[in-house]
Amino acid sequence: MTPDDTRRDVRTDNLWKIYQQASEEVRAVRDVTLTIQPGEFTALAGPSGSGKTTLLNLIGGLTRPTRGQVRVGDHELSTLPNHELARLRLEQIGFIFQAYNLLPVLTARENAEFPMLLQGVSSEERTRRVDELFARTGMNGLEDRRPGKLSGGQQQRVAVIRAVASRPALVLADEPTANLDSASSDALLELMDELNRDLGVTFVFATHDARVMDRARRLVRMVDGAIDSDETRP
Amino acid sequence: MQISVIVALALRNLRRQVRRTLLTALAIILGAGMLVFANALGDGTHEQWIDDGVRAGSGHVTIEHPAFRVSRKLEDRLAADVRAAAEGALATPALADRITGVSAQLTINGMASSAAGARPAKILAVDPQAEMDFTILDEQVIEGRYLQSDDRLAAFVGVGLMETLNLRLGSRLVLTAQDADKEIAGQLVRVVGVFRNGAPPVDNAVVHIPLAVAGEWLGSGSDVSNIAVMVEDSTEVSSLVRDLRQALADPLDAGLATVLSWREAMPALASLVAVDQYGNYVIFGVLFIIIALGIVNTVLMSVLHRHREFGVLQALGLTPRQTGAVVLIEGLLLTTLSTLVGVGLSTWLTWYFLGDGFDMAVIAGDSLANNMDMGSVVIDPIIVPMFSVARTLQTLGWIMLMGILASIYPAFRAARIDVAESMKFDR
Repeated sequence: MTPDDTRRDVRTDNLWKIYQQASEEVRAVRDVTLTIQPGEFTALAGPSGSGKTTLLNLIGGLTRPTRGQVRVGDHELSTLPNHELARLRLEQIGFIFQAYNLLPVLTARENAEFPMLLQGVSSEERTRRVDELFARTGMNGLEDRRPGKLSGGQQQRVAVIRAVASRPALVLADEPTANLDSASSDALLELMDELNRDLGVTFVFATHDARVMDRARRLVRMVDGAIDSDETRP
Repeated sequence: MQISVIVALALRNLRRQVRRTLLTALAIILGAGMLVFANALGDGTHEQWIDDGVRAGSGHVTIEHPAFRVSRKLEDRLAADVRAAAEGALATPALADRITGVSAQLTINGMASSAAGARPAKILAVDPQAEMDFTILDEQVIEGRYLQSDDRLAAFVGVGLMETLNLRLGSRLVLTAQDADKEIAGQLVRVVGVFRNGAPPVDNAVVHIPLAVAGEWLGSGSDVSNIAVMVEDSTEVSSLVRDLRQALADPLDAGLATVLSWREAMPALASLVAVDQYGNYVIFGVLFIIIALGIVNTVLMSVLHRHREFGVLQALGLTPRQTGAVVLIEGLLLTTLSTLVGVGLSTWLTWYFLGDGFDMAVIAGDSLANNMDMGSVVIDPIIVPMFSVARTLQTLGWIMLMGILASIYPAFRAARIDVAESMKFDR
């Protein structure tokens, strides 16, 4: 998979997200301007409450900015109506969540195929892509298990397969290793690294896990909703 | 997006909370089943009332002189040519196919007297053969027999009249009434049979005699007060009345005859049926509300417990409207499947009682059988449910509509979910 690099970058311009909490104003994201190039493996790091998850949600169109702009490719997200935001997420963005968030009523295979079902990908193609990713992630033989019958690491691998099988340009991962032991975390990071290199998928993580930060080729540190540092590694 | 994805997801979700789904399904099955069976029983009850009423009265449809219904006088009878035209119309294939019985009747208000005394009598002169297809009195004989075609000077009397006038089989009885020339005329007849109907006004006053005897006695020849017509069930009445009014347009326009449905001829019975129907509708309305609350409870609870899941669905690319559709289809599937089971069971139950009917006396005891009379009409305590495909489909449609309506609010809640908020990790 090779996304059209010229059209799949992510840009935020003077982005603000302010919540009203009781009578208090919470500035979750403050004036963030950031460009993420296609194929990057970027970590947004920072302590709890630093605005990582909110920035990820803004980039994924799950929440709307108070001020500023978010662009994913040609799309300015803050002006898109809900149904077009949903379509953009379906076609261009994959999500990985800290709590895995697999659909409990579907099997591992059905979860992995779900976004492709929504996209209208043919049954043969869905099977081919999912089989390949299950083999690659060592999940063979677990396709028919429901999430409740999988370990945390296995569930998160299914979540990764679900996020990349629909061939998005961008995968947003919110604390993907937070609930995993170190072995599972390493295996998962290795997998995402491979997918990033082999498929060219852009990965953006929100994390405070040192292992994720070590692997990231770009590390953006956030403090109190603003970017504190932005470091690119070779 | 393929609708099959939403349906599959909805089905899986219903299976997830099996106990909750089954409990709600059970409520819907019982509710739908009760609605359909109660409808069938209600319609059967009303049909029974109507059938008993029209058999004791003037049929589902009556053709009579316009003044007869109020005056009840011999002079307000159908002329021979009008009777011939009416019987000709009823014999045409288009009408005859829908008719199960026709009886020409001459109603006479007079006196019945014996050596023991005299009593007011409602004398009905009939063609015995035709009347046997029509009346239920021939099935209520307690002594002797009903009239026969070759009977002369025979009378079939109620048990009350028999006791009051101290009559026995073969006893002589004198009937007195005003004849066609408005003179008082008497006729001697002999009792050939006695019936017990159960309704005092019938048992104490009704006397059946052959029409030919009445014609000679009163000088009315073959004239009759009315021609009573029976059909298979009351739903066919309005079309028959319309067709008869067309076929008898000339005598009707000339004011020589009128065609009345049982509702017009027996407004008290029509009102009773209508009042009971409205009572049933109130009960059905309450049942509908109970079913609706069950559906709202199940679907809303399911939505409230699945905030995160709906957030995930929208993060994966479902639009808010599609998310709402998942919930709506869940409600609709639950309602439809449960209603189909309920309707199936109640159809079986209705079919089971179609043969011998449902004996209300089993529930209310024997006292019911002796007291189910409404004025001069005795109601059979055995009710045969009346199954109607249209009625059943109507109920099915209403419950499904209610399922959709009851799922709208939960669907709205699911569609309006705050995606980012719903997926916040529980720290």
